[in-house]
Amino acid sequence: MTRVVVVGNGMVGSRFADELTDGDGGRFAVTVLGAESAQPYNRVLLSQVVAGRYELAGITLSRPRSERVAVHAGAVVTAVDRDDRSVRTADGARHRYDFLVLATGAAARVPDLAGLSPWPGGVHALRTVDDAREIVAATLNARRAVVLGAGVLGVETAVALSRRGLAVTVVHPSAALMDRQLDQPAGGVLARALTGLGVGHRVGARASRVETVDGRVRGLRLDDGELLPADLLVLCTGTVPETGLARACGLPVRRGVVVDEQLQSPADRRVMALGDCAEPPEGATGLVAQGWEQAARLAARLRATGTGPGALPRRRDRTADDVVRVKADGLDVVTMGTRGDDSARVLQLSDPDRGRHVQVVVEGDRLVGATCLGDPEVAAELLACYTRGAPVPADPARLLLSPLAATSSAAVPVTALPDDTVVCRCNGVTKHTIAEACRSGAGTAEEVAARTRASTGCGGCRADVCALVEALGPAGASTSPSADGSCEDLVTQASPPAPAAVTSAG
Amino acid sequence: MPTDPGRPSVPAATSTHCPYCALQCAQTLTRTDAGVAVAPRDFPTNRGGMCQKGWTSPTLLDVPDRITSPLLRRGGELVEVGWDEALDVVADRLRTIRAESGPDAVAVFGGGGLTNEKAYQLGKFARIALGTANIDYNGRFCMSSAAAAANRSLGMDRGLPFPLEDLRGAQAVLLLGSNLAETMPPSLGHLADVRAGGGLVVVDPRRSPTAALAADGGGLHLQPVPGTDLAVLLGLAHLVLRDRRTDTGYLADRTTGLDAVRDCVGAWWPERVEQVSGVPVRTLERAAALLADASPIAGGRGAYVLTGRGVEQSSQGTDTVTAAINLALLLGLVGRRGSGFGALTGQGNGQGGREHGQKADQLPGYRMVDDPAARAHVAAVWGVDPDDLPGKGLPAVQLLRSLGTPGGPRALLVHGSNLRISAPDADSVTRRLRSLDLLVVCDFVPSETTRLADVVLPVTQWAEEEGTMTSLEGRVLRRRRAVDPPPGVRSELEVLRGLALRLDAPGTWSTEPAEVFAELARASAGGKADYSGISHRRLDTGEALFWPCPATADDQPAHPGTPRLFLDRFPTADGRARLLPVEHRGPAERPGPGRPLHLVTGRVLQHYQSGAQTRRVPELAAASPEAFVELHPVTADRLGLVEGAWVRLRNDRGEVRARARLSTDVRTDTVFVPFHFPGAGRINRITNDAVDPVSQMPEFKNCSVDVVAEPAEPLAATGPAAGRRTR
Repeated sequence: MTRVVVVGNGMVGSRFADELTDGDGGRFAVTVLGAESAQPYNRVLLSQVVAGRYELAGITLSRPRSERVAVHAGAVVTAVDRDDRSVRTADGARHRYDFLVLATGAAARVPDLAGLSPWPGGVHALRTVDDAREIVAATLNARRAVVLGAGVLGVETAVALSRRGLAVTVVHPSAALMDRQLDQPAGGVLARALTGLGVGHRVGARASRVETVDGRVRGLRLDDGELLPADLLVLCTGTVPETGLARACGLPVRRGVVVDEQLQSPADRRVMALGDCAEPPEGATGLVAQGWEQAARLAARLRATGTGPGALPRRRDRTADDVVRVKADGLDVVTMGTRGDDSARVLQLSDPDRGRHVQVVVEGDRLVGATCLGDPEVAAELLACYTRGAPVPADPARLLLSPLAATSSAAVPVTALPDDTVVCRCNGVTKHTIAEACRSGAGTAEEVAARTRASTGCGGCRADVCALVEALGPAGASTSPSADGSCEDLVTQASPPAPAAVTSAG
Repeated sequence: MPTDPGRPSVPAATSTHCPYCALQCAQTLTRTDAGVAVAPRDFPTNRGGMCQKGWTSPTLLDVPDRITSPLLRRGGELVEVGWDEALDVVADRLRTIRAESGPDAVAVFGGGGLTNEKAYQLGKFARIALGTANIDYNGRFCMSSAAAAANRSLGMDRGLPFPLEDLRGAQAVLLLGSNLAETMPPSLGHLADVRAGGGLVVVDPRRSPTAALAADGGGLHLQPVPGTDLAVLLGLAHLVLRDRRTDTGYLADRTTGLDAVRDCVGAWWPERVEQVSGVPVRTLERAAALLADASPIAGGRGAYVLTGRGVEQSSQGTDTVTAAINLALLLGLVGRRGSGFGALTGQGNGQGGREHGQKADQLPGYRMVDDPAARAHVAAVWGVDPDDLPGKGLPAVQLLRSLGTPGGPRALLVHGSNLRISAPDADSVTRRLRSLDLLVVCDFVPSETTRLADVVLPVTQWAEEEGTMTSLEGRVLRRRRAVDPPPGVRSELEVLRGLALRLDAPGTWSTEPAEVFAELARASAGGKADYSGISHRRLDTGEALFWPCPATADDQPAHPGTPRLFLDRFPTADGRARLLPVEHRGPAERPGPGRPLHLVTGRVLQHYQSGAQTRRVPELAAASPEAFVELHPVTADRLGLVEGAWVRLRNDRGEVRARARLSTDVRTDTVFVPFHFPGAGRINRITNDAVDPVSQMPEFKNCSVDVVAEPAEPLAATGPAAGRRTR
């Protein structure tokens, strides 16, 4: 069997081990070395744990299903020996490999900020399940929180803490909130939405120092001198790929572990890197979708070839792995793809008073990027269109509004509908046919049913038939819907059998 | 009407059931001087209602092209011959082919419209008269995914494990991939209360009339990208777990597998589901909350999860139904009065048709053909050695693909099925049928499939025969003879007897439906679908009997049948239902360059299945005469199409032509075409025959196509239009 060692038991490493051993004909034996617990968990949902939406125990993910995957929890890898093709763990164990897959992820980036050494109480990053646990515990006593950094995680965390009843201010040094995804107008719409949720913000503001008393945080000082009082400070200031092992064993590392299109290190074809620790040619997005896509691709390639660098299968969904969706109650913020360059057509709907901002970027007949705030239906449509590469409408401006807004006829009374409207769908009876029956003497719903079969299917149109009888019935006939006692229970009761019948000619 | 001299005259008014779908609306047929009149009867399922198909059903008795004589192909033409000659020819050729190529060289294809008696006799005929393993049926196209999922999760497959009427008390119903408003309209009455209370939730890529009922009634319509229903279900399960809305006591007492499902759906957080399915997070959350609020654990009035072909006719159909069952189990719905999970059977006897041995892997009583005890029991009833029973045969799609290929079947007998319209990748199926050495088709009208036959045997239809049907709720119903069949027409029981005797088959071959039923009942005794306590006589007293209904000792009261399953335990080894983790993979074929749109298929109200019957009813044909392509105005605008324009749908398998119908009811990335029609609009020419790995169900409901406008003028036209084309 081919021995594969995976360093990292996070969302990507675990998924890769599972995919590799699914349908591989028993050819791979996988050892997963994880520094955290044996059960992988959904890191994407940590901000939602802070929000109280999920319990800590509620974000676990499946372990690899194959018994050929051995997961070692608490196994901290200390060294990689590429000549020996083995890794060592802190407990002294040695694991040989034919292929080594680095899925070590990333750590929270700690800003270079005065007052963080020694580390004060009440200051947390949000990267691991332990961080989430500590923040949740801290919210029990904290009343004011500051979130430093208003990227996606910062915005989610700010709203999450606000949901917990804390007074929250988010501080962001750039000119726009979520500036990696949003331009200034979109960032402005987001800022208004945050204000509406009671979350304060300081945009374009630099933090200068963490103020402490007795080793606990008391506030965040900005470089304009303002002090934001806080008994909880959450640092959402980005991540740093975990590249220590790769660097120590001589593999090329820039921001992340350098890999080629095949996800292999250019220095050693037996070593691959996936997910947040990797730096592929197109760059890392920091999103799990990219890591999962890489895991599926690499697993498929290894299963197909068993060894060596075969060609990687094509990416299945063109560009689906750069979608950003903010998970926060009361915020609808979705971005995808590019913000456009000179060759692209950019269309925009700006409705800041309603918190709505939609921008689409079109190249040819393809949607290559979009930003959508404040309109979840449009966002869902744009996601489907972008993810699947569906052709855009002849006029792409139609993308800015929901195309599926089917009109409901429920509110229009049947008497006001056109004559060719089908009133009884079960029997294909039009309003015109019913009206004719009324004009020729049918004075009750039963009589209409007997002549036309209207309402003899599911009975759902009985109210409409009664209304037409009342409006159109012959003068002097009893047209009260309740006269025959049957129009009271209009929907739940089908009409009794009508004497009308189709006869065969034979 | 002429009568068969040997037959007793039938009474003037006959209580029976509609010839079409699995709702089996009760109707009374009355012979009058003018012919046969129909009226609906009050009955728990149709409650005195009947749709346009039922109202016009007597027309079927007088279709002008009714086949009334056996037909034999001579010199390329089908010519009328006598019954003895036809049966002799069939028996001789079957014997020859069997001698040359072995018993599996003869295959049988049955149908979900056959009575229980005919389905049973057909399975027996295949196994002991032909000795072939290769029998399967069109239910493989319809119920096999739901059946496989229910069997593996709940231990038993009965479409609705509760009477349909139970839906009326529910607070919420989640309907996945089912358009009841068109497929079985009178059933909607049972949903009227839940709809009025805003509790109807419909998942469908189209705003079908059923989906519109939900949306207009204060309920919800979830309109996912085709092929992503499974992701939606995983997302709903995720939300139920996230929001701690599960029935923990029920899960502990009555299920296994919670942890694995919890971890599996952990990867389907709502924002991810939104990206995959196009269903907004908030809509998913509303749907989950609506179901959870209705659940018994929340003090609600009950909730149901129901699936239909829209989610089942998929290469991940079994897993999709499994996810639906998981959701129902998490909420504690299954096996409780007033709540539940069910699959809405489509064909008239789609339920009974899958229980009595016309499936490739099954013997009567829902027994598995590879189970030695099952083989011994059934062989004893049939009077044969268990070792002589064939094993598992090829399921439908593989069977059809193998016809006429080296080593594949050389002869095929078709009963109650119109394969050229209803099978996926239908042009390939047509080629396979043409390559056979012998094609024998039993039908009562010249369907598209009979036109390829070497021998056509004319058989009776619904109002001309006695028998039983098992409705979508597992209730056994009596189909009764209201009129005599035309001279020259025989029942399939007579056909099978005629052939069995000519083939020197062991066993008994009664032509009396009540006798065949009695044998079926014995064969089913002790099986999952146990009919042994049911008889025509008992049914004729008016008893409502749902299987299982085992026989009791003579001195004991008769078994009352089982309207509601699973109330005390599940028929699994440990008595518990199984929560099973499943993953969303997506459809086998995705839109891509050259075929950018999803194609979904379905039915219209006026037609049933391949339309072989309903297209012959003038009123129905006039109301719905031809195929159409439903597409969104935005899509039409991009393609330069207007209402009524001719369009072509293309993919690797072929091309279909139909008129455009513009509607905002369909997604902009999707087109819809009904599947009932022959000729250029026969949509199953281009549907995908990729199958579900568990059930072997083909992926009818989702493939990808290119849609192009057809030139406005006929090709022969001259003038400016032609000039433009040649530019």
